[in-house]
Amino acid sequence: MDLALTEDQAMLKRTVADFMKREAPPTNITGWLQGGVGYVPELFQTAADLGWLGMLVPEAYGGAGLGLSDCAVIFEELGRGPLPGPYFSSGVLGAAVIAEGGSDEQKQRWLPAICQGEEIATLAINDRGYSWGPGSVEMTATDRPEGLTLNGTKMFVHDAAAATVLICAVRHGDGISLALVDMNQPGVSVTPYKGLASPSLGEVRLDEVHVPRSAILGEPGQGWAALERALIQAIPILCAYQVGGCQEVLDFTVEYTRSRVVFGQPIGRFQRVQDHVVDLVNHLDSARWITNETIWKLDTGNEAISSVHEAKAVASDGYYHACNYAHMVFAGPGTDYSHPLVAHMIQSRSLYQYLGNPLYHKRMMMDYLFPRALRS
Amino acid sequence: MDFAMQPDSEEMQVFRREAQEWFAEAMKDGAHLKFSANWSTRENEEEYEFRRNLARKVGAKGWMFPVYPREYGGGGLTVEHQMVLENEIGKYGLTLEHIFYTLARLAVPCIFTWGTEEQKQAFLPPLMTGEVGCWQLLTEPQGGSDVANAQTTAIKDGDVYVVNGQKTMVGSIHYPDFFWTLVNTNPQGARHENLSWIYIPGDLPGISRSPLNLLMGRKNTVFFDNVRVPEFYLVGGENNGWKVGNTHLELEHSGGGSLGEDGLVKHLIQYCEETESNGAPLLEDPDVRDLLADVLIGSHISALWGRRNWWHRYAHRPHGYGGTQARYYSRMRRLVVAERLQQILGYHTLIPNFDVPEAIDFEHAARQGPGTLHGGGTLDTDRLIMGRRMGLGRPTAEQAPITTPGSSEA
Ligand SMILES: Cc1cc2nc3c(=O)[nH]c(=O)nc-3n(C[C@H](O)[C@H](O)[C@H](O)COP(=O)(O)OP(=O)(O)OC[C@H]3O[C@@H](n4cnc5c(N)ncnc54)[C@H](O)[C@@H]3O)c2cc1C
Repeated sequence: MDLALTEDQAMLKRTVADFMKREAPPTNITGWLQGGVGYVPELFQTAADLGWLGMLVPEAYGGAGLGLSDCAVIFEELGRGPLPGPYFSSGVLGAAVIAEGGSDEQKQRWLPAICQGEEIATLAINDRGYSWGPGSVEMTATDRPEGLTLNGTKMFVHDAAAATVLICAVRHGDGISLALVDMNQPGVSVTPYKGLASPSLGEVRLDEVHVPRSAILGEPGQGWAALERALIQAIPILCAYQVGGCQEVLDFTVEYTRSRVVFGQPIGRFQRVQDHVVDLVNHLDSARWITNETIWKLDTGNEAISSVHEAKAVASDGYYHACNYAHMVFAGPGTDYSHPLVAHMIQSRSLYQYLGNPLYHKRMMMDYLFPRALRS
Repeated sequence: MDFAMQPDSEEMQVFRREAQEWFAEAMKDGAHLKFSANWSTRENEEEYEFRRNLARKVGAKGWMFPVYPREYGGGGLTVEHQMVLENEIGKYGLTLEHIFYTLARLAVPCIFTWGTEEQKQAFLPPLMTGEVGCWQLLTEPQGGSDVANAQTTAIKDGDVYVVNGQKTMVGSIHYPDFFWTLVNTNPQGARHENLSWIYIPGDLPGISRSPLNLLMGRKNTVFFDNVRVPEFYLVGGENNGWKVGNTHLELEHSGGGSLGEDGLVKHLIQYCEETESNGAPLLEDPDVRDLLADVLIGSHISALWGRRNWWHRYAHRPHGYGGTQARYYSRMRRLVVAERLQQILGYHTLIPNFDVPEAIDFEHAARQGPGTLHGGGTLDTDRLIMGRRMGLGRPTAEQAPITTPGSSEA
């Protein structure tokens, strides 16, 4: 047993933390949020140049071929921002789907470009965001000799506006195919959401969009299995990003209990205020340790599927509630759009749903651990 | 990171086989016993005798305190040996720390850290080898949370301390050989500067006890009436008790960690698989599954934090707020589990099942919810301690002490 980061990981952590301090301090984050900016291309390119987008991609396809635990170190620091942009959606998830589902030719075509930041691939599974199983894929492909024609809307696509290619799950024959949709072709339009949704969320409309046969990932109709394998690897990295968010929220909240003086004493001396921070840190550490252990299981080839579902449930729940408890401590000032807590709260709400919310993942965990008998 | 709890070097594989064989032999005569939990309401004489003797056997091998030096009764072994041993005894539903009711796990680290060489040689070997048992005495009737307000006095008279006062909510059924006791050695002294720890032999004249019947089983009030304790038994220096207490409380507050598994949850799942309601196993019921998911996750978090604390302890990197965090969380969770049990099993939760070990019995768990919220400190003082250890409202976070010897490689 050894629960510390390796020396290399500790160094990597410092590097990413320095990058965040320099390029994405809280004032930038809140500025981007208020400007509706979901993605800063120059930063994304820097991250690509540093090799952070292809951590899990095999070296043969232009990646670093590293384990999840290294990748998680990076994403935890990015989550502290929370840095918006397709770092996870393309650099981890998009790449994983193509790596799991694509032919060798497709991998050669896409993976190096994703690692370099030249292509940005984001994933659209369900059409309406209510659930995440195969039944949630509603869009149906029309099969034509030269390829597929797609019509319909994929709601709540993360990093939709930044993406150059959409990995779009569609009903196709008896199965589900993953179609690579060029986002710059006619018939594709993206509308960002307003309100409490993260600025990087968008609705993608496809109107008579043609996808050549060569852009169906792997075997037609066989997309779901590849998607499942990719999700199992990618989700823990998203959890690490959420853990980073919790940690940042904790750190600035602890700091506030020291500096904010009310009734003549630092508010951290009030037991009620301490209670909120205790609840906050318990959510953080729940998310942190389940995520850490899950990543260790995956990296060492232990059975991890139920842990991945558990981790997503706990990390999503954790980030959501960590922000709530911080709001209890910050009171009024914490509700100002120029306060970093608002950026985290908003991010926590969208990530709560991303790739399935806690209730969904808890049920997946149970179904995996204790398969239900099929009864009519 | 490496979460593996089974060291698998060649040497450890050999040692594991040795330990397995040893425990198989030592546990043979107890195979029919369904062990009771801490502070049991069901412990019987036969079980007590078995466990009392087992402790002597385990202790004689140095395995009760594997990483402590042999000269004091420890095993002189590595942290890896300790992991193996904890694992093996865990298979029988016991822990190294609680083979029978003794709080050596608290007294030993304090005496080891704070005692003089003569005291260590005199007190530690019998404690570490399971020859003697000891209780911890802190709580007094005027309020257990305010530990520093101890009013049991120990006043120097020549070469003895004369002890007067009472301690309550302490111990268990069988009278101990020693009391590891917090006393006030200077009633006029300033708070935190008037306390001392004294290791009181149980057979001195002037000590009496009266039993308390608690939800979790037997506790006692212990009375000291002009008990004359030789000065040799005062550990860590007169009026230095607040500092010594730091070691004690760090471990009492779960800073020690654990590698154990949650047998209760396994039992619950098994029950839900085997028990039908409305024509289908409970485990098929969607509502039951949702409830079980939360129970499983909570149990997993508790176990992970126990492991985290264990690693921090043996790697000599004490985790500031981690101990109280784990304790607070596990206590809050026990309340939740007690409620979930009633939601799933209904009335059946309220009836004990003597065919299973007490620690995995549902009725015990339901009692444990409210019954163990406060051992060694309340939920509120846990949160206070976490606040200090995180440095809330203070310039810096209070540090946790190192409590345990052993290699720094965990
Ligand atoms: C199963 C069990 C085993 C035990 N074993 C032992 C043992 O072996 N040895 C031993 O010495 N004692 C033992 N105890 C006693 C235990 O340590 C005390 O119950 C505990 O310290 C609390 O003291 P109290 O019960 O007197 O509550 P009090 O101190 O009277 O507290 C009453 C209430 O006031 C709250 N409160 C007190 N101070 C504060 C504060 N500063 N801020 C906010 N709230 C506060 C408490 O949280 C609680 O809600 C045991 C108790 C139990 C339940």
